[in-house]
Amino acid sequence: MKIRSFFFAFLAIGLFSVFSAEAQTRNDVYAITNARIVTVSGAAIEKGTVVVRDGLIESVGADARVPADARVLDGTGLTVYPGFFDALTNLGLAAPQPRPQPVGGQAAQQTQPQSNSNYPNGMQPEVSVFEQLKGGDAQFEANRNAGFTTALTVGRDGVFNGQSAVINLAGDSVSELVIKSPFAEHFTFRTAGGGAYPASLLGTFSAFRQMLLDAQRLQDWQKTYAANPKGMKRPEMDKSLEALFPLINGTMPIVFNANTEREIVRALDLAKEFKLNAIIGGGQEAWKLAPRLRQQNVAVLLSLNFPKRTTSVSPEADPENLETLRFRAETPKGAARLAQAGVRFAFQTGGLTNVNDFFTNAAKTTENGLPIDSAIRAMTLASAQILGVDNRLGSIETGKIANLTVVRGDILSKDKTITHVFVDGRLFEQKEKPKTPPTTGGGATTPAIASVGGNYSITIEIPGQSLPGTLALTQQGAILSGTISTQMTGTAPIKDGKVTSDGFSFSANVDYGGNQIEINVTGKVTGSSISGTIESPQGAIPFSGTKNP
Amino acid sequence: MRKAIVFLLIISIGLISPTFLLAQNKTEVLIRNATVLTAAKGTLENTDILIQNDKIAKIGKNLKASANAQVIDATGKFVSPGIIDCHSHSMLDAINEFSYSVTSMTTVKDALNPTDITIYRALAGGVTAGNLLHGSANAIGGQNTVVKFKWGKPVEDFPISDAPPGIKFALGENPKRTHVQVQPGQTPRYPRTRMGVMEVIRDAFVRARDYKKSWDDFRAKKTKLVPRRDLELEPLVEILEGKRLVHAHGYRSDEHLNLMLIADEFGFKIATLQHGLEAYKIAPEIARRGTAVSIFVDSWSYKFEAYDAIPYNAAILWKAGVSVSINSDSDERMRRLNLDAAKVMKYGGVPEEDSLKMITLNAAKQLGIDRRTGSIEVGKDADLVIWNAHPFSVYARPEITMIEGEIYFDRTKDIQRRADLEKERQELEKLDINKPSGTTQPRIPSERRIEERDEAEYGDGGNQ
Repeated sequence: MKIRSFFFAFLAIGLFSVFSAEAQTRNDVYAITNARIVTVSGAAIEKGTVVVRDGLIESVGADARVPADARVLDGTGLTVYPGFFDALTNLGLAAPQPRPQPVGGQAAQQTQPQSNSNYPNGMQPEVSVFEQLKGGDAQFEANRNAGFTTALTVGRDGVFNGQSAVINLAGDSVSELVIKSPFAEHFTFRTAGGGAYPASLLGTFSAFRQMLLDAQRLQDWQKTYAANPKGMKRPEMDKSLEALFPLINGTMPIVFNANTEREIVRALDLAKEFKLNAIIGGGQEAWKLAPRLRQQNVAVLLSLNFPKRTTSVSPEADPENLETLRFRAETPKGAARLAQAGVRFAFQTGGLTNVNDFFTNAAKTTENGLPIDSAIRAMTLASAQILGVDNRLGSIETGKIANLTVVRGDILSKDKTITHVFVDGRLFEQKEKPKTPPTTGGGATTPAIASVGGNYSITIEIPGQSLPGTLALTQQGAILSGTISTQMTGTAPIKDGKVTSDGFSFSANVDYGGNQIEINVTGKVTGSSISGTIESPQGAIPFSGTKNP
Repeated sequence: MRKAIVFLLIISIGLISPTFLLAQNKTEVLIRNATVLTAAKGTLENTDILIQNDKIAKIGKNLKASANAQVIDATGKFVSPGIIDCHSHSMLDAINEFSYSVTSMTTVKDALNPTDITIYRALAGGVTAGNLLHGSANAIGGQNTVVKFKWGKPVEDFPISDAPPGIKFALGENPKRTHVQVQPGQTPRYPRTRMGVMEVIRDAFVRARDYKKSWDDFRAKKTKLVPRRDLELEPLVEILEGKRLVHAHGYRSDEHLNLMLIADEFGFKIATLQHGLEAYKIAPEIARRGTAVSIFVDSWSYKFEAYDAIPYNAAILWKAGVSVSINSDSDERMRRLNLDAAKVMKYGGVPEEDSLKMITLNAAKQLGIDRRTGSIEVGKDADLVIWNAHPFSVYARPEITMIEGEIYFDRTKDIQRRADLEKERQELEKLDINKPSGTTQPRIPSERRIEERDEAEYGDGGNQ
């Protein structure tokens, strides 16, 4: 019903609506009065006014004048923060979609993105998130409601994840929401998948090295050739290698996704070897290398996805490894240790399934010794500085982009409500606190819980191959248990199983070629069909199937 | 666990700890009154070893040390050189780059894991150094790294900086069975026969020779454009130039002989034949070329290639004048290499010191690190093991294992520390973050952890 009436309204207004929305939102003038203002760039103003006009902060201060044409928002009891950054996400990207049933190798070929690169999928640094983003406000609703206005976003797949962009979490078109593109190249210590080179961590390193050396040579060659092409063999046009030029020239950073101490060491070693401007993404153990990070002047996009214990005690289970117990206890203390050592860092969700946990965990860093100011900085100005947009964003200053998050209560306290969020000066009001926490996946939340229990025969679409398997799901309210089995991986119990209004999610540790890998599965059930996505270290793999009678 | 000690030290010493620890490393150590198995100059009874600046400074009777020296009374105990495992895949996060048959561009140095608990277990078995090799899935595998097992130290402290570089080759079953077809429609990897393996190696060296020529021509200004640096061929050029050691996995004598003939053809020497279970059949051919062999003592028949193995292999090779070392190729057997060396005395009657050399000095020579380690001689690194009994006794166990004069394993301290670790565990388990949430089913492990499995139980993943 609701959807239908909305649809009719849309039809009725037609094209005109776009323009009226434009007129209404872009030229709005707002004055938030009597609010506590955390400017971040300067001292907090206990009672003051922020004026927003044409998408920018027009003035801020205890005595800032309220313009006559402003819509006045009484900020009594509210705190205005610079809009919060999530410094590493996949926001704005389409959710991984189940692929159509492939018929032999040909269909699999067709699902590969079109590219004339000399390098296989996953080894193409020229892939830009800008081309993968989609416009529209609705997709970011959950994140705005949580208090975010800005994010760094990049593709999920590949060894090279491609070039990232800094985006505002509102905008009808991609060109409107992108603030800076490209920001950096992103790299993950993983394999190309499908048995192709690099098929191991060893190959990942050698492939990276060879590409950087080839890029260096191609750049030199192109320069020499441009100066005098006569009598010289023509250098090739190679988009993949050319995308690496700014990296080797130090004009574009490279974000290495690295959480463990040894992954970070490997990233820092590579950065040193090729004089790269490196940033660490993840950095759960970065504190162990704080002096070296400081010395190499490497910033960290610090994951707030703290390790959690999820399984319950079983009499047959081995006691947990002491290192694991220490890891959980130490990780929330990492931010304070980085701050103390003078390492630059910005907070990011690190794949948290509930974006609200970002602020809960940011509060935990302050309970573990990080000064509150530093924590706020790590999601505002410090993020803007690391992402190179601090001349526009990250603090409440006259002339900066009007990205603001207005909160009743303290952002790091448990009892808080995000009341208003401004993105590019556009106001997004939040009427009441949502009953169910939004997820990073976005979308509307309805209280009903889907019914997903049952036994399913599924087909997992590994590129070029269909892997049959079964899912046995037992649902108890919102909690899901059961097993996932395939011929390749055997049978594994599922864990963290959850059922939401429109689907389900769980994770499992499966045996894959002798290694235990963790997979995260999301999906939904429609009638007797099931479909969804398996996120594995090898990337996202779609699956679909039917319920067994 | 090492971290725990350092941590406790820091707590007790406070701010002056960094300088103190530095001084600690350089402290003189005097081992008193031991039976010293030198692995070079016989067995010395009631002998002292003085260690200064990480090195063995003096060996003799009634040695004097300065007042602040650490003195270890080793009366009734045995001191041997630190054991060197000439074939190991410990502390590696990745072993095989199985996508291609030639992966000389890879190096295991990129995948070192200095927190791998097998390092500490190796120390507890008296092992102080290892030849970390790429797996045997490829005819030409990746580059090796020779490390000392400095548990608790940052990863960059592990590789022996002046060890000559090496590389793994592999012949026979392992490289030919890796013609896996990962995806339907994909061409399976070449080669799939033993003759194909040889062709892959010869082809690689032909390419390397051409590559070397392209650079020689460029340096001689015969060509204008700088050649492309090729990370696959560079290590092979180093082999042609005699700068990189080839460690060639193989079982059958015909294949090892074939490989040596290819090396003859291209004018280089194979450094070691790894495994070489049939090496006794071609002992004179191996000896003539100055190639060494690194073997298992008495395991066989675990695959077809291993059917002709005999326990007298080491003795026959030794009598033919071949340098023999004994390796483990296993995180588990690495801890008992002393007993493997003892078996060589039993099978074929190799003298005691020559048997001991097979896990110490010979391995050091094969890896080009004998200038600094492998035997107890003045001037060498103080890489030593203090045993409660003769290391060839089944009752022997290391009490102290030291590398460059620093103690990395101390059995007494290990036992003392267990109570502290248990206390730490209990405190950590009390934290909310470490309490189970109780909302999901426990995962019951479908199989035991790798380190608990017996060798025979798991597919060798292209090793062995």
